[in-house]
Amino acid sequence: MRTIENFILKIGQVDRRWIFIILALVVIIPIINPIGMPIRPTETTQVVYDAIEDLPPNSNVLVSVEYSPSTKPENHPMTISILRHLFRNDHKVFVTCLWPDGQFMAQDALKQVAKEEFGKVYGVDYVFLGFRPGNEAVVKGIVSNIRKLYTVDVYQTKIDEIPLMDGITNFSDFAFLFSSSAGFPGTIEWVQYAADPTGVPMSSGVTSIQVNEVMPYVQAGQMKGVLAGMPGAAEYEALIGQKGSATSGMDAQSVAHLVIVLFIFLGNAAYFIERKRSRKY
Amino acid sequence: MSSTAILGGWIAVFLTLGIFSYLYKDNPFYKIAEHLFVGVSAGYWTAIFFWTQIQPNLFGRLWPTTEFSADSLWYKLYNGLSFFSTSVFPEGGIDKGHEMHLIYLIPFALGVMMLLSLIPKINWFARWGIAYTVGMAAGLRAYGYLNSNVIGQIKGTAASFSDPTLPFFSLTSPSIFNSIVILVGTITGLLYFYFSKEHKGTLGKLSKIGIYFLMISFGASFGFAVMGRISLLIGRFVDLIKYSSGDYFNASLWVLAIMIIILGYDAFTNRKPPLNEDAV
Repeated sequence: MRTIENFILKIGQVDRRWIFIILALVVIIPIINPIGMPIRPTETTQVVYDAIEDLPPNSNVLVSVEYSPSTKPENHPMTISILRHLFRNDHKVFVTCLWPDGQFMAQDALKQVAKEEFGKVYGVDYVFLGFRPGNEAVVKGIVSNIRKLYTVDVYQTKIDEIPLMDGITNFSDFAFLFSSSAGFPGTIEWVQYAADPTGVPMSSGVTSIQVNEVMPYVQAGQMKGVLAGMPGAAEYEALIGQKGSATSGMDAQSVAHLVIVLFIFLGNAAYFIERKRSRKY
Repeated sequence: MSSTAILGGWIAVFLTLGIFSYLYKDNPFYKIAEHLFVGVSAGYWTAIFFWTQIQPNLFGRLWPTTEFSADSLWYKLYNGLSFFSTSVFPEGGIDKGHEMHLIYLIPFALGVMMLLSLIPKINWFARWGIAYTVGMAAGLRAYGYLNSNVIGQIKGTAASFSDPTLPFFSLTSPSIFNSIVILVGTITGLLYFYFSKEHKGTLGKLSKIGIYFLMISFGASFGFAVMGRISLLIGRFVDLIKYSSGDYFNASLWVLAIMIIILGYDAFTNRKPPLNEDAV
């Protein structure tokens, strides 16, 4: 027993840089050699999928991109999967950004999915309105009069000259909103200033850190489900039957979590052993 | 593969490993990556703010093409400005689909006032712009919070009890039991933040239950935070593995090796002598 206690104490005093190296290894190895752990959709992800699946064909769907490259591994697979689902079901997609960096994230996703995978026509099947500064004021602007806020799209084409924008004047002209969000301004602002006042249904894909903040809105029915971090993105990839970067990252995610739990357990054990011994002497 | 893509890969590897090198200790690689990130972000944000809002939506409303008249004093001023930059002020007015709205001179003036904070003698002008922004944001948020966070959340907490289709118990989906837990958690959590009475007796016990709910919530937040950070780490490693391939001339391996050699050499040459305990 004493030997085990000494061993745990020794681990408790290990230089933190060794922990970083171990963590790096447990993340890299499953990426290179995938284990193929099963992915089952949770209810919140299933609700998002069902909400999009239930939309009548040719529905106008607003996709708002509010994340930067710093959270690309979590948000980008969600955006790609949602776009795939929307284009597969022949919906009309309108893309806006509340973050400046979101503009080139959205551009990247649209190029991959709309152009290369589905061969959709710009201005007819989808339109990219781009970024406008102003945080929640932009959401309010879209709700009251989108044409006043966006007189030109991201390519500086006048909105009046884009066929898809015919009949679109405010937020109520959309059947659904999906917000791919990494913080402020993002999902919460869309709930507060757009979805709640107008009754237009919305879902969101958020970073793991935001899940706790957003979950009350899902629980209260103000949002239709949520994609929670990389696992949420992987679950959505499984639901649409098209695996992507989130699925391939899930093995590393699971193994890393196990190792972190082990470290937390050992750290606490070392703390209690040390406390017990200091009391004894 | 194009040379630009390869160069981009090498820069991405250098910056990623530069940031990671902070885990060893603060060093010049980390400083370079950090300063570049701040500088590039500020430059990118400024440019995109200008070209997506100020030029099309502000200047575009003050000097639209639709009302261009070379004889008017207003457009003579515009022509004067276009002398400095024809891309910002193109000939014949700005064509972004706007009509003329001179009311936009007010936000223009407030914006200029905010910039005046850089001049110490007249930096008080900036308060006007800040006051407007704060007032507008406070008003806008008060409504949003009241509607969605107060009324919407109270509705959400109460609604489930009146739904006869709900099962009594379910761990993962909505149920009456879960609704009771949410209700108890909400009330006891709020009671913990009620400071007008000493937390003793029944109030003390209830607020203690509230603490447990808060602790569970913080635990969940911590778990999600760890999950998020690992996701981002996975993203960077996926890129590093990609850039370590022959297509990128093994960028990750080379940069990693060079960084280790330089940091190792630095650690070796700048070793601190061990403390002489006798001298203390």
